[in-house]
Amino acid sequence: MNKKWLSLSLCFSLVTVLAGTGCSSSKSDSNASGDIVTITHYTIDSPDRTFVEKLIPDFEKKHPNIKIKVTKAPYEQFDSKLQSAIAAKNAPDVTSQWGYGGFMEYYNKGMLMDLTPYLTETGFKNSDYNIPDNVMDIYKVKGKTYGVPVNSYVSLMLYNKDLFDKAKVAYPPTDYEDKSWTFDKMVEDAKKLTVDSKNIAEAQYGVDFGWGERDQRPQYFGGNVYSDDTWTNGGKPSEINLNKPEVIEAYKKIYGLIWDQKVSPSPAFSKSVAGQFGDPFLSGKIAMSVVGSWSLAASNNFNFKVGVAAVPQGPNPKVRSVLYIDPLFVLKDSKHPKEALEWIKYLVSTDVQEKSIELSGGNPPVNQKAAEKYYANFSGIDPAQIKQVYEGAYKYGFESYNHLIDNYSQINELFINELAGVENGEKKPEEVLPVIQDKLKKLLDRVNK
Amino acid sequence: MADVQLSPRSVKRVRSYTKPLSISRVVGFLLLLLVTVIMLSPLWFMVSTSLKNTKEMLMYPPTLIPHTFAWDNFRQLFVSEEIKFGQQYMNSIIVGVFSVVGTLISSTLVAFGFARYRTKASGLMFMLVLSTLMLPYPAIMIPQFLLFTKLGLHDSLLPLIVPNFFGSAYMIFLLRQFFSTIPDELYDAGRIDGSSEFRLFWNLTLPLAGPALSTVAIFTFIWSWNDLLAPVLYLDSQENFTLPIGMASMMSSKFRLAPWNLLMAASILSSLPIIALFAVAQRRFVQGIVLTGIK
Repeated sequence: MNKKWLSLSLCFSLVTVLAGTGCSSSKSDSNASGDIVTITHYTIDSPDRTFVEKLIPDFEKKHPNIKIKVTKAPYEQFDSKLQSAIAAKNAPDVTSQWGYGGFMEYYNKGMLMDLTPYLTETGFKNSDYNIPDNVMDIYKVKGKTYGVPVNSYVSLMLYNKDLFDKAKVAYPPTDYEDKSWTFDKMVEDAKKLTVDSKNIAEAQYGVDFGWGERDQRPQYFGGNVYSDDTWTNGGKPSEINLNKPEVIEAYKKIYGLIWDQKVSPSPAFSKSVAGQFGDPFLSGKIAMSVVGSWSLAASNNFNFKVGVAAVPQGPNPKVRSVLYIDPLFVLKDSKHPKEALEWIKYLVSTDVQEKSIELSGGNPPVNQKAAEKYYANFSGIDPAQIKQVYEGAYKYGFESYNHLIDNYSQINELFINELAGVENGEKKPEEVLPVIQDKLKKLLDRVNK
Repeated sequence: MADVQLSPRSVKRVRSYTKPLSISRVVGFLLLLLVTVIMLSPLWFMVSTSLKNTKEMLMYPPTLIPHTFAWDNFRQLFVSEEIKFGQQYMNSIIVGVFSVVGTLISSTLVAFGFARYRTKASGLMFMLVLSTLMLPYPAIMIPQFLLFTKLGLHDSLLPLIVPNFFGSAYMIFLLRQFFSTIPDELYDAGRIDGSSEFRLFWNLTLPLAGPALSTVAIFTFIWSWNDLLAPVLYLDSQENFTLPIGMASMMSSKFRLAPWNLLMAASILSSLPIIALFAVAQRRFVQGIVLTGIK
């Protein structure tokens, strides 16, 4: 008898599953009817991105004919889900470069819609949304706009006030115009703040110079890894300058901080205090850290007093900060670009940008009017200081290479792998750079064919 | 009689061999103890981190035993609007249980066919089934995704469950090996008693194949429980997410601290069903591995 029931229940479950197949196919058909348009907003599944869900009721009330659906994926799987959705003609309407791929990769793959006609038609002016012209221009190619900036991160310096107080060193300044605050002065301070010891419990380091990605760092020292045409031709460098003396010198200075000056932590030290991908600054064993401003958002949880400062002036006085401007794109396959643009415009409007700071837990708004509220968002740090650092960073900023260069994830991986030997102190930059030059040339020849 | 005299002596010899603690045995035990501590230390850190608050989680050097036990982390997982752990747990269980049911139904039938019936093409057909093992999931990912999207099953749990009802080559292979070991005489006896072929399968083969079936059940459940890629592709809404997506999402923000304490609490809770399943089916599972020769 029992066995009969077992077999019956097994058959039932099979039928239920197969019946479910039939049911849900009819469900999706009903969506297409009526005048109401559904816009899909695809994002990373993390609270600082999915907060947009909380804005939907207000938006839908103001735009009764538009419904917003948020779809999401974990960071690591963001790109693969997006690619398969595009392949299955099931692409979202609105998204951004939140995975490994950047703007130029999306642009060159033909994934992005040219927003220019829709922006003109709806009379969009970036000044109405307090978005600076130079920020708006980042996502223009040949005069056509492909993205509307929504958040702006910059690189800045965070410092551990407790370590400064203990070593009796004066805090670094927040003013970018203070010309006494130079790279050499930073190294000098870092030496006073460093305890270079084999004993991990005692060791501490003066500075962790995480300025931009590895291929962008020479820019701070006045060297450019890629030829200038890269910024105008769709992110395809025609020449690589890793053999130029100023670039080699730059890398020597960067890695000299670890191995010659001994004021920066080695990768082994960083990993042992912060784990594989963690930030060693959080361990309280780094006095100054040049990082992206996203690290500010976690500052309330630090186990020490934290301050914010300007990135010191390096050999290149024009570029001192890396800008990470996050835009919103409308994908090419979108059937409702106008409605998608309405949603984007809503997200960059002043009051929504202000609201988003709290909802997201501290995302920096691109809207400069809303930015005032952002500066006041961090307990223990004077809002005026954050404002000054941000303004200086905009003035001396250059957009992050990962947004501007095609096939960036492959290029970046090459730099990470090849420079690992230099970071670990096994090789010298001048030995490794010709190897990267060669490999990168082959890689670019292959991908840009 | 000689046997009777011998056995106490041999017992004595065994006893005298086991009793005194020689240096090599002490060293051996210490070594084993060390290895055990090394093996258990990640587990210890998992439990310890799950009970730390955010400040203590970031402390360096890390504390072995939390200063204050933050039991609230576990509650947080279930009450937090952003995490929705309970819902994800439920979804993972639904997918896991139905995948096991589906695989057991389909793979046992196919394996029974391959094990008991011989035709000219059965060798070839079996090779064809096995050859599907060589196709990695990413190779069939997009076509399968297109298929299920066309069927309107996108953003539901069905694409994760339905394929299991169409057999798994690995499980078919495993079960076929086991079914082949059941002697033909049993089937002949069944036939003489008038059993139908289905009855031979249902009343004779399956009851004898307990170890193999539990191995299949455990493997399938673990695979489905840990699967991340397929759920990521098919599921869009948070209410449909399974545990691996939820947990991967906790580390998603490059702009925020990963909530390691919550993640570790989630890891403990998510490993419970697997531990429970293994504890219940352990004996049969090990037997299954031994008898089918599969690890």
